[in-house]
Amino acid sequence: MKKPVFDYRNCVSCGICAQACPVSALGMKKEGKSGKYRNVFPELINDDCIGCGQCARACPMEVVTMEEAGDAG
Amino acid sequence: MTSFTGRILCVDLGNGTAESRSVPPEVYEAVLAGKGLEAWYLYKHIPAGADPLGPENILAFAAGALCGTGAFLTGRWTVACKSPLTGGWGDANCGGVFAPAIKQCGYDAIFVSGVSETPVYLFCDGKTAEVRDASAYWGLDATEAENALHADLDPVCRKKPCVACIGTAGEKLSLISGVCNEGGRIAARSGVGAVMGSKRLKAVVLAGARPMPCHDPEAVKALSKELGRKIVKMSLPSGFGGFFGLGGRMMGRMPAMPMDGSLAVYMFREWGTQANTPLAVTSGDGPIKNWGGTPKDARGLPPQYNPDKINKLETLKYHCYSCPIGCGGRLDLRGRRYAAYPETHKPEYETLESFGPLLLNKSLDSVLQINELLNRAGMDTISAGNTVAWAIECYENGLLTKEQTDGLELTWGNTEAILALVRKMVDREGFGDALADGVKRASERYGGKEYAMHIGGQEPGMHDARNDPQLGVHFVAEPAPGKHTVGMGMEYGAMSLCDICSWAPPATLHAKKKDREDTEEMALITKANACYTMLTDGAGGCLYGVMMGVHMWKLVDYLNAAEGWDYDGDHYMEIGERIQTLRQLFNVKQGVDPASFRLPRRMLGWPSLSSGPLKGVTLPQHRAQVSSHWRAFGWDEKTGVPLPETVKRLGIDRLTEVDV
Repeated sequence: MKKPVFDYRNCVSCGICAQACPVSALGMKKEGKSGKYRNVFPELINDDCIGCGQCARACPMEVVTMEEAGDAG
Repeated sequence: MTSFTGRILCVDLGNGTAESRSVPPEVYEAVLAGKGLEAWYLYKHIPAGADPLGPENILAFAAGALCGTGAFLTGRWTVACKSPLTGGWGDANCGGVFAPAIKQCGYDAIFVSGVSETPVYLFCDGKTAEVRDASAYWGLDATEAENALHADLDPVCRKKPCVACIGTAGEKLSLISGVCNEGGRIAARSGVGAVMGSKRLKAVVLAGARPMPCHDPEAVKALSKELGRKIVKMSLPSGFGGFFGLGGRMMGRMPAMPMDGSLAVYMFREWGTQANTPLAVTSGDGPIKNWGGTPKDARGLPPQYNPDKINKLETLKYHCYSCPIGCGGRLDLRGRRYAAYPETHKPEYETLESFGPLLLNKSLDSVLQINELLNRAGMDTISAGNTVAWAIECYENGLLTKEQTDGLELTWGNTEAILALVRKMVDREGFGDALADGVKRASERYGGKEYAMHIGGQEPGMHDARNDPQLGVHFVAEPAPGKHTVGMGMEYGAMSLCDICSWAPPATLHAKKKDREDTEEMALITKANACYTMLTDGAGGCLYGVMMGVHMWKLVDYLNAAEGWDYDGDHYMEIGERIQTLRQLFNVKQGVDPASFRLPRRMLGWPSLSSGPLKGVTLPQHRAQVSSHWRAFGWDEKTGVPLPETVKRLGIDRLTEVDV
């Protein structure tokens, strides 16, 4: 099953992907830096992902792609 | 396909029913969703003379048209009702993730009528909607209630629920209470929390997972990508905050001028709105000492409210749904003075000003605690601060005695007394009981009306009309008077509205005193500002999008892509005009006289200030400016009542015949 993989370089922390998730498998929980700012980013927060790809389709910044679970880095 | 779900949820708490109804497309074409949909529905369905705290009042929760389409800065949700504070139109909005949650349940808006006999909450997951017992949550503050609902419902919901709820202030029917979400972020104005409390509706809990519609999501996302790429690169070097007091002094002397909207992005990304506090104190924008003071009175305050100092307490930024800016943050308060709460949201400018310079309070730590206390209680910090300022001035002038204030020494800048009074207001205890209903009611009971700063019953936001006369027009011409979020001269300078609207005048470099004159140009500017803000509210947009200007946040392009329309800016501005006129008609229907909304004498410059950037400033043409604003809208220039030909031109007569 494919799961979301994030390219955080272009992420603007808008949370659109997390809210699109129908099973709340994504959360804005990952802490990191956006330029100089300490910010939150999306990540898988449980095992509930159903691989539907709604997060990837919703993201305006093309940060989220769906990849086979084994390939996710 | 458009971005609208085409459905609303109508809940009657009198009999505990919830019914889904469809809304015809012509309604959305006319008013979009959000505040527009609410204006249409409430104008039609709340009977004239309805008791704001009775079963006939309807409490609305709405998402905007662009919410869920991929458009940035469109995560605002709006609560609307007949206001118990003003007796007329009431609304408040807030960010977070509650707006998309409404749409993910399959609705554009939820309308709640009736009164429940016992505490209840509304639960909706997109398949069912039901009214449930809330007795276990009644009596909890907003954050406690939200956490308790999550603890009970998260394990049994496939999609994590979103919660909007009242705190204890709303339960106790404080007329200055609001509705909260996400740990005390509050839709604060107009007394919407009291209306929710009167219905014994503790919370609305939404756990739907339906896809949110959009005509051309790829086109919308392309617009967002362009904006996101710009914003993510924007940051300021740290360390400027200490110079804002000086910067404000310069701003106070500068002429009005067109500005680049990206300035707002830099400011809000770096600090949030709190950066404005030292600027406002020295520039004349922010009120000092209950709107009667000058920067001399506030000497020493700007460094206390240095935004860099507040940023140092920030542990993490957060963003509203669909926002690339992220003006919000969590502050660590451990080890700070008065630290009853270990953390709080980064306070907004309005809160810092209301409990800082307005009261000559030098203690930032106390304001941070008051911020958390009022957020949890669900009480409006603007209204509460204005009310405390009135109490202090009454006490200082001998109108209130120590016996009446329950022993509190209510003097300017007395931090301990201010904190104690706010706690009393939240608990409705002793002297605080009367103050919990705002400054108008308090002054009617105790006297001191000359110190009671309100417009039509609502306390004004923390911006001075003497500094920004356009704001003064909006303060009184706005159907929900006293709100600072409808228009300002400074905002207009950054919006570039003339580039999307054929009749909106261009922003120009000019002496500030020109803004005090009654001219046709000024009337068109205030009209354009109000129309664009109403359009934004119908779209569910954030005021920061407005401040960015039309070339960064491309609202017209967003709407055309999301709805599959091909309208120009003039058409969309007419939608804003229609929404504003519907809200004004709501007031007329409810017997509220628009001409009764008046700026307090102090804000008109009587008595005039003796020093500072507003020295000697008066607004003798203010009433004429309001009349011209009404005339520009096609409302009677003497009464403010929309003229029959205007109602017809905007199609409101036909619109109000549409039923659901």
